[in-house]
Amino acid sequence: MIRLLYLVTILICALPLIPGVLGIVLPALSWLPALGLYTPNFSAFHIAFQWSGLSQSIFLTLFTGIGSTVLAITLCFFILRANWNSPRWQRIEHLIAPMLALPHVAFAIGFAFTFAPTGWLFRLLESIGIDTSSAFILIQDPYGIGLLFALAIKETPFLLLMSVSVLHQIRVNQLQAVAAGLGYNHNESWLKVVLPQWLPKMRMPIYAVLAYGLSVVDIALILGPTRPPTLAVLVWQWFNEPDLLLITRAAVGALLLLTVSFSVLALARAIEWFAFDIKREWQISGAFRPQATLPLTTRSNKIKRHTGLSGRLHWPFFIVPIVVVPVLLLWSFAQRWRFPDVLPSRYSARFWLQESNTLIELATSSAMLACISACLALILAIGCLEYRQKYQRGLPTWLIALPMVIPQLSILFGMQISTYFISGQYYCFWVIWSHVLFAFPYLYLSLDGPWRSYDIRLDQSARSLGMNAWATWWKVKRPLMMPAIWLAIAVGMSVSLAQYLPTQILGAGRISTLTTEAVALASGQDRRVSAVYGLLQGLLPLIFFTLALIASRYSGNFSRRKKSIQRQTRSTNTDDLICGKPHYK
Amino acid sequence: MTLSVENLTINNANIPLISSINFSVNNGEVMTLMGPSGCGKSSLLSAIAGHLSPVFTLEGKIQLNNTIMNDLEPDQRQIGILFQDDLLFPHLNVWENLAFGLPRTIIGANRKNEAIRTLTQVGLHDIAFNMPNEISGGQRARVSLMRTLLAKPKAVLLDEPFSKLDKALRIEFRLFVFEQIKKQDIPALMVTHDDDDIPENGLVLRWPWNNNDRGLTNA
Repeated sequence: MIRLLYLVTILICALPLIPGVLGIVLPALSWLPALGLYTPNFSAFHIAFQWSGLSQSIFLTLFTGIGSTVLAITLCFFILRANWNSPRWQRIEHLIAPMLALPHVAFAIGFAFTFAPTGWLFRLLESIGIDTSSAFILIQDPYGIGLLFALAIKETPFLLLMSVSVLHQIRVNQLQAVAAGLGYNHNESWLKVVLPQWLPKMRMPIYAVLAYGLSVVDIALILGPTRPPTLAVLVWQWFNEPDLLLITRAAVGALLLLTVSFSVLALARAIEWFAFDIKREWQISGAFRPQATLPLTTRSNKIKRHTGLSGRLHWPFFIVPIVVVPVLLLWSFAQRWRFPDVLPSRYSARFWLQESNTLIELATSSAMLACISACLALILAIGCLEYRQKYQRGLPTWLIALPMVIPQLSILFGMQISTYFISGQYYCFWVIWSHVLFAFPYLYLSLDGPWRSYDIRLDQSARSLGMNAWATWWKVKRPLMMPAIWLAIAVGMSVSLAQYLPTQILGAGRISTLTTEAVALASGQDRRVSAVYGLLQGLLPLIFFTLALIASRYSGNFSRRKKSIQRQTRSTNTDDLICGKPHYK
Repeated sequence: MTLSVENLTINNANIPLISSINFSVNNGEVMTLMGPSGCGKSSLLSAIAGHLSPVFTLEGKIQLNNTIMNDLEPDQRQIGILFQDDLLFPHLNVWENLAFGLPRTIIGANRKNEAIRTLTQVGLHDIAFNMPNEISGGQRARVSLMRTLLAKPKAVLLDEPFSKLDKALRIEFRLFVFEQIKKQDIPALMVTHDDDDIPENGLVLRWPWNNNDRGLTNA
């Protein structure tokens, strides 16, 4: 059974990558029998490369994709360096989850409503007497700066979250104590001890952020430049050309996007290899010890570190999302909102009521789709994790992460071309398949930790008591894993809900979700309708996570009750009361 | 050079973890701190090294020679620390780990030469180019100690340095540590649970810290 699940996972989640790639290579060579193209040639390449704005699109893609990733990595590192192990870190950690739960599209719509020339920020500035007529406009600016900042702000919390387990793993506190003993100050030890260990362990999340930044379509449609757009948006526009014969040009574009993305990933790896493996003299050049330092108290130095510029770097990453959600809410109820008023002069629920039927229908279908995809991906993920535990051999990490680092547009385009070879219109099936493909890595990775920390001896004890394998899993392991499983389902559902391209491409426009509608309406004229869709799209994952947390707490109730009994017993011990350090006498 | 502690009190939320402790350790001496878990041994080392968690409050004086350490940042104290885990940096090989501890005044190829010379002195030159995960626990422990000493600390703190080693290795490494500390001629403070770890004629401070002015109780 486990072996079968493992094979099914490879079949569903890894094999599509082959037709996905072939499906863009062959049409790019003008070989597409479904459209009567039987003679391979390079004509599509000529047509694509003759497009006047292509080089500028590639430049914009590189600027926004690399720029946003570098900015996100740098800020993530500075935030960690300034706040890790400080009382402020706890607060930052609590803010990460809601930031992540906010979908990209909802964030982008809110961002646009805040930073547009008639957005809330400009209204605020005007209201305090600042003339904004000559201010730089971040929304759909020709250089992609607004897109770059939005991506960096949205991705930094993801990198922060990924860093938490990495920093615990590399034992930052102890390493810093050792480095301090060797004469290294706080900043030097983060640069020379933590960074060389943190960065390689963050490789996969960073590659995912980089690949996303280079190939993003939904956010770029809302915030990115338009003439010319980024390469991914350009390919998406080519793909939607009414003339089907031009699909070969779109295939070339998708291939180009894939090449650009992999070249940048390879370059990132080469830079990392050069700076951290080849030229690493800077890491062992010794501690900088100022000869004469004024004796500052430890406390005052720490305060300085936490209140300095780097101590405040996390502010935009929490303030912007905190601002954009209320702005969406205001817009969704605004009936009359003149510029430069800070608040609407008249409110109305008209737009909610007007859209209510569609909203209910879309929310239901989106939630259903997300639920089915997440449950299927969950079964596959558990199957793979059990297979790894049993046979000590699992899916290679690169294979799991591949759907996260391959540009969605390229792979989906190929997958769609592959579906042409299967007669019948199974759009719902194809969409679920694509959602499972992209939700699976997130589910797998979120369950990986709990599965690794599970004590296998519990299984052995249960089996020795006469339980069969299934009963052992169901009665012993499952209850212990339920909190993690609930959260993984919420993660999977949120990932599925956020999928724009898979739904559009494999659903061939016949399947609508809140995300596809929100993106379509974001470029429309009525901000109030966009706000309604954006807000609801942002609300659904929050509901998923809230329900998951409740379910998780309910299922973890037993173990917690047991722990509290233990704590009560242990708290009578004086040594524990004093230092809170666990020990066993 | 003398490491001394005067009327040192460590409080955790107004509950005293250590109250008014006094001792001093001279050059080349190793003072052993012994006591049950939770009595504050490791917190005392953290206070001396400057890593005490902000939840604790500190009173009294920590002095190295005539310099008061209380107000200095950990990196300015020049006090080396050795934990039960060797904590070699896994991204650097053995000689690079040693070079990490060398002063900045040694530059270029001299850093590598100095690191390898130190390894040769202690018979570990064969592993100079190995990564930490490629060498044995005993070798890692030695490299870790040598790295600490190469930074020319004015004192060394040893937090249960032998507890993760097997018996044979423990005896060997213990002798190695005491020999190196004597050679460097610096004061050392060691936390341990094992009476066998106490150096011959060494100073011992046992919980509940009923000490005299040098902290000497019984050996």
